[in-house]
Amino acid sequence: MYFAHAGHWLTSIAYFVPVLAFLVWLGVTHIKDRRNRSGG
Amino acid sequence: MITLFAHAGGLIGRSDLPIPEWLFGWAAAIVLVISFVALAVLWPEPRLERARWRPLPGLLGRVPASRPVEILCGAIGVALLGLVIYAGLRGTQSPAANFAPTFVFVLFWIGLVPVSVIFGDVFRAFNPWRAVGRAVGWAAGRVVRNGLPAPLQYPERLGHWPAAVGVFAFAVLELVISGGDKPETVAIATLVYSALTFVAMALYGVEAWSARGETYSVYFNLFSRISPFETRDRVLGLRPPLSGLAHLKAGAGTAPLLAVMLGSVTFDGAGEAPLWTGIAPDLSKFFENLGLSPQPAFEMAFLVGLTAAVLLVYGFYRLGVAGARSVGGGFDAATLSRAFALSLVPIALAYVMAHYFTYLLFRGQAIGFLVSDPLGDGSDLFGTATKQIDYGLIGATATWYWQVAFVVLGHAAGLTLAHDRALALYDDAKLAVRSQYWMLAVMVGFTSLALWLLSQANT
Repeated sequence: MYFAHAGHWLTSIAYFVPVLAFLVWLGVTHIKDRRNRSGG
Repeated sequence: MITLFAHAGGLIGRSDLPIPEWLFGWAAAIVLVISFVALAVLWPEPRLERARWRPLPGLLGRVPASRPVEILCGAIGVALLGLVIYAGLRGTQSPAANFAPTFVFVLFWIGLVPVSVIFGDVFRAFNPWRAVGRAVGWAAGRVVRNGLPAPLQYPERLGHWPAAVGVFAFAVLELVISGGDKPETVAIATLVYSALTFVAMALYGVEAWSARGETYSVYFNLFSRISPFETRDRVLGLRPPLSGLAHLKAGAGTAPLLAVMLGSVTFDGAGEAPLWTGIAPDLSKFFENLGLSPQPAFEMAFLVGLTAAVLLVYGFYRLGVAGARSVGGGFDAATLSRAFALSLVPIALAYVMAHYFTYLLFRGQAIGFLVSDPLGDGSDLFGTATKQIDYGLIGATATWYWQVAFVVLGHAAGLTLAHDRALALYDDAKLAVRSQYWMLAVMVGFTSLALWLLSQANT
């Protein structure tokens, strides 16, 4: 059922790719900052 | 909900576009990132916080805000309130043929939003509850020998919570209650709201309640702060657009109020998405199994959906606030939440305009024939009763471009406000910019959500 409508779901997910990418980048930056602070 | 006034975004079919709709979302995100970089480089000091107000010269400044004009506008507001109640109770119970539902849900709730953004706080002058409250206060002051007792101090902890509850209640009437657009229901809701408002005004004073607690005053005032027009001491003047928001006193309930404003539009848009249409019947069945009959179970499912949409929006905003807090500066989450709440106002504007654009344009035309036949009884007071709605006013493709423009401009304005506030809040400009990485994520998130919702409505 869900796979039959994969085109629809994938299109919906495509809308949120920028925000997901942005949140991943923010998360990575946040972890790097914490490591730098604890290391230095 | 299956009512005439829900599914407002679906008045227009899918547009024929040169690229997929989701690519517009990506382009909008890129525009926001570029705007963010430009702000960081070209906007090094808080400008909106320090913006100046200048009075308009002569009669241009004094007449629009004068007492006679205010009394006239208040009288028009009271007459319209009376017409809504009378038409709702005495007119036809067909929502489309009665003046009350179209006036309340289309012209008032949606139409006054762009009017407030362009011309300023127009509703303050036309506010029927404020007009009646002031008139009663004036008359009572003359009749009672020692004057009326001073009103209670408006409790700070209440803040904008009454308005948040009011907007939520309006959304429940519009999107949850079956037959919420029935003229009689609209009239009774208006009467109940009027009674509650008069009691609150008697307790806390007309101006204090209008400024902080009265739902529609607060709702339209928030949008009017985007406008370049502002009245001070009965003089109309000019200020830079958006600067009114920089002076907004956000308090308890301000961020939740904006979450309700955004969440209710989100739910209205998501109501047409397969995601919700797949969940709603199961949720409704769940409430039926708890012993509710089908209609209340269906309404409970929609109430859960509306609440979830509001909480989702609020949660995402608080995530951005928590991220901004993590960069340092020593502010607690509540302070940051209030400080950046102003940035949600242009986003709420973008959501309202993008989602209800065609609805306002098409359904708003109905007022042309409803003024001639407000009760739907066949009368023709102004000779316009036979007018029709012109659905060819705007095409699907043009509508999509307008919607994208509203979304991008609204979010760019939100970003600008958040950047300006961060510069005023943080001592270190670098820290201010870093705190805004998270607000940028919030803006990109709301942009993606807005365009996805619109795509669902266009399906």
